[in-house]
Order: sequence, then structure tokens, then C-alpha cells
Amino acid sequence: MTTSFRAGAHAGFTAFLPLSVGLVPWALVMGMAMTSTGFSPLQAMGMNVIVFAGTAQLGTLPLIAAEAPLWLIVVTALALNLRFVIFSAALAPGFRGVPTHERWLAGHLLTDGVFATCLDKMLSVDDPRWRLGYYLAPAVWSWVLWQAFTLIGIFAAGIVPKAWSLEFMATIALLVLLVPMARIRPMLVAAVVGGLSATLLRNMPLRLGIVSGIVLGIAAGFAAERFEHGRKDHD
Amino acid sequence: MIDDGSLWLVFILIGLATTLPRAGFIVLGSRVSLPGTLQRALRYAPAAALAAIIAPDILVVGNTVEPFNPKLAAAIAAVVAALLWRNPWLPFIAGMAVLLGLRFLLAN
Repeated sequence: MTTSFRAGAHAGFTAFLPLSVGLVPWALVMGMAMTSTGFSPLQAMGMNVIVFAGTAQLGTLPLIAAEAPLWLIVVTALALNLRFVIFSAALAPGFRGVPTHERWLAGHLLTDGVFATCLDKMLSVDDPRWRLGYYLAPAVWSWVLWQAFTLIGIFAAGIVPKAWSLEFMATIALLVLLVPMARIRPMLVAAVVGGLSATLLRNMPLRLGIVSGIVLGIAAGFAAERFEHGRKDHD
Repeated sequence: MIDDGSLWLVFILIGLATTLPRAGFIVLGSRVSLPGTLQRALRYAPAAALAAIIAPDILVVGNTVEPFNPKLAAAIAAVVAALLWRNPWLPFIAGMAVLLGLRFLLAN
């Protein structure tokens, strides 16, 4: 470990530490939600380590519970993860001078919080070791916090009676993720159209209603963005 | 619930559907880039996907759209809590309190 890696890691960790507290309720809910779905502690931790993505895990749980077809589960996970394609593209210039295996590790550990914390420094600092340290310290810290509090959630769910419907916490968690997105008007349009289409098309075979909802939602959001721009141009 | 072996396969596939989008551009570097229009359209995918999963769960009871049901009321309470306060626990407390409270009232 070089000195500049350690200096970068220290700076990144300090910047991220207060934000990271926000992961705790998510991880607890994640553990409880996986247990209420019927996973054993080993299966739950297995999913948590292999996938390591709150939104994709919470979003696919109801589909796994309903024994939806595999391709639908994968398509849903991909849709929920598409934002990372954009984050990854934005961060990519910050990894110049970093070897490929470390890039894979960095990619696997990419989360919303790490992206928000690191983008600025990743694009402005010259030293590649410092940049990698600044990125990996918050990323690894998120991983450790996430695994630890998910494990606590798994065992907490075991002592709560079934009548308390703890699985609804997963729905609330998805809503809480959606709320800040929907503050932007075209996003709200995408969500409303996506949600209503999926509800109206719920009896389509193979749960195609969800995929149709996602596609219609994206189209509606994009159309709303175009409409807003058009109006601004005429003002 | 599906059997243990298929469940692990599902985890691995969801894992790939997560790590590949995350690592793709970081690993490839500046050799490739997405067309701007596609990038802008993809920004709406997470909101559309989240809503498409949530809405049927809170709007449909049995197989009918039910505009007044405890889950929908609980979802509204959670959204209001998330909009008004920054405390990350409140949406869960408000949502679960409304859900369990309404179910208790309706059962009695």
C-alpha cells in the first residue's frame, strides 16, 4: 500500500463516514425482507454477498417469492441497475492508470453513495493511487456495514411474529428510494405511467405486465422531458 | 418457494445483472461510450421499474384494483414521512403503524 493510496483512502473515508449511517436502516430492512420471503440465513447472506445491491435485491424479492420466470427476474434486476451504467460511464475517466483487476473490484463495489461521494475527486485528482484509495475506502466500508447490518436484520426478523407483516418493509423501502427520484417532473411521469401500466396489465402472461410497465414508463419519462424542453424553447 | 439449487442460480444471475452494469465502463475505460439519447432515456428506468413493482402490490387486492386498502394507506403514510422529514427510520415507522393499525381496526 503506497503512501498516496493511504492518504486518498483517509480522505475518502472521512468524506463518506457521516453519509454511511444512512445504510444502516436499509441493511436491517434487507435482512428482514429476505427472511420474510422465506430465505434461510445462509441463503440470505449468500444473496447479500453475491448481489450486494439493495434496490436490485428488494425489487426482485417479490418476483422470487411469486416464482416468476428467471428471465423476468433478470430483466427486472437489469432495469433497476441501469443507473449504474450511467454512473460507471461517468466515473470511467477517473480510473485511468488503474490496473484491470482493481477496476473490476471497484465496479463490483459501486453504489449510489460511493458514486455521489467520489465522482468529483475521481475526475479532478491526478495521482491514480490516491484516486483509487479515495474510491475504495468508502466502497469497502459500505460493503462491511451492509453485510454486518443485514446479518443483524436476518436474526431480528426471526424473533418478530409473522402477523406483523414485516415483508411490507420491503415495499416501504422501495417507495423511499422512489420519492427523491420523483421530485423531478419527468421522473414522476415515468413512475406514474410505469406503476399504472404494470397495475392495469397485471394479468398478462409471464408477468409481462411489469416489463411493459417499465418500458412504457421510460418512454413516458423521455416524452415528458422532450415536452418540457419544447415548452422552454418557446417561452 | 423455489428449491435451494435454483435459488443460488437466481442469485448468481442477479449478481451478474448487477456487477456487469456497474463495472462495464469502469473496466472498459474511455474506449467506448453510450449514445447521448440512450443515456438520457435510461435515466428513467429505475423510477419506472420501482413503480412497476410497487404499484400492483399496493393497489390490487385479490385481483381487483382497490383504491381504499390498508397497504395503500400505509404507502401514502410512508411517502408523506419521507417527503417531510429527513429521518431515515420514520417512513418505516409511519407505514408499518398505519398498516397494522388499520388491519387491527378493520378486524374488530
